Amino acid sequence: MTWLVIIVIFFIFLTPMDSFADSMMVITKGNALRERCRFYSPIKSTLNYGDILDINSTEGDWYKAKFKGVSGCIHKSALEAKSVSSFEGISRQGQGVSQQEVALAGKGFNPEVEKAFRAKNPNLKYNIVDAIERYNVDEKRVFEFIRMGGLTQP
Amino acid sequence: MKRFFLIFFILFCYGCLSTGSTDLTGHLKTIKTATEELSKASRPISDVEEYYVGRALAARILTNYKVLNNALLIDYINLVGLSIAMHSERPNTYGGYHFTLLDTMEKNAFACPGGIIFITKGMLLSAKSEDELAAILAHEIAHINNKDGISSIKSARWTEALTIIGTQVARTYTSAEISKLVSLFEGAIDDVFKTIVVNGYSQQQEFSADEKAVNYLKKAGYNPKALVDFITNLNVQGSSGGGIMNTHPSSSARLEKLMETTFQIPVDISSMNNRLERFKAVIKKTIQ
Repeated sequence: MTWLVIIVIFFIFLTPMDSFADSMMVITKGNALRERCRFYSPIKSTLNYGDILDINSTEGDWYKAKFKGVSGCIHKSALEAKSVSSFEGISRQGQGVSQQEVALAGKGFNPEVEKAFRAKNPNLKYNIVDAIERYNVDEKRVFEFIRMGGLTQP
Repeated sequence: MKRFFLIFFILFCYGCLSTGSTDLTGHLKTIKTATEELSKASRPISDVEEYYVGRALAARILTNYKVLNNALLIDYINLVGLSIAMHSERPNTYGGYHFTLLDTMEKNAFACPGGIIFITKGMLLSAKSEDELAAILAHEIAHINNKDGISSIKSARWTEALTIIGTQVARTYTSAEISKLVSLFEGAIDDVFKTIVVNGYSQQQEFSADEKAVNYLKKAGYNPKALVDFITNLNVQGSSGGGIMNTHPSSSARLEKLMETTFQIPVDISSMNNRLERFKAVIKKTIQ
């Protein structure tokens, strides 16, 4: 019986894994692959929602990943494992391929629903919300603010 | 003989999987897809959907309050807020964190799902230091990460929305479907608004947010005891004109819990004083 178990385990390890098992999708509007696995580390490549990355390894809460030939670090909270393999016609590396996946992720309460909701409720202050979201603080300033305040760099 | 058949079966399965060209592979894929579809049928609200709920809630809150347009102050609260958010378990949300000020002396703060956080002028002026301001923002970030606003959406409403959203690949909604989805969306915003602005979170949610806030402050290098100090001060100042006192559990209950958590945490006084100076400078330049 022992040799049978060994054979089974042997074949399980030999069986090819899902070819997309180490791919993950960016789930934030914008993000970046960074030189080191720290926030505010220099950006090597910018990323958009729906980009599919190849994951090489992990370092704490960070993934070491590759996108369009560029390798770098990205925090785990910006990625989600997606069942890319279940969608025919989807390839990788963000060449317009994840459109179907992006569309799927964009179902439900999405821009289309917001547009109709806004039309129905013109009194709501979406213009101010847009302005709030447009306000961005430069990363270097956050880094410096943390340093000057004797705080901990994330 | 049984062993022979068992080994034959294993080899057969392995052969099917490795060539990837047999019916069995197809069947396995079908089973996998079906399982995925089944899980999506009862899926929770996604980060993207959370973002749109948060935007709608913010747009509604802004019909009741005006924004305090002060560039220096808005910049400062964003710097403090981001210094903490990056140490939370969710430093990245779909739309990111955005902090802004509401021009009212009411003492309150609101965390919209997805990352927009409002703090009132009254609340800001109740804080005595940058660390106390950080404590307020850390508590609100914790509510977002705990999905306390999103979880107030009635489950029946979301279940109904899912029947329209469906599970197959995206398609354009019919006008009837859009109309129904907008109605459900409105209902969801009502649910969240009632919880965040009118009734407040549950006592348990508040305690949990306090506990997380202490953790964020500690990680970020802020003094976690600042949350205790702030709540104590708020208690002394009392409530005038509603706000946080109406929607939060009694200060004594929160303090009791917090004292246990923060009792033994060491504090770096020198850097705290530096932060106090820059806090005073910003407040002096802008409000007082």
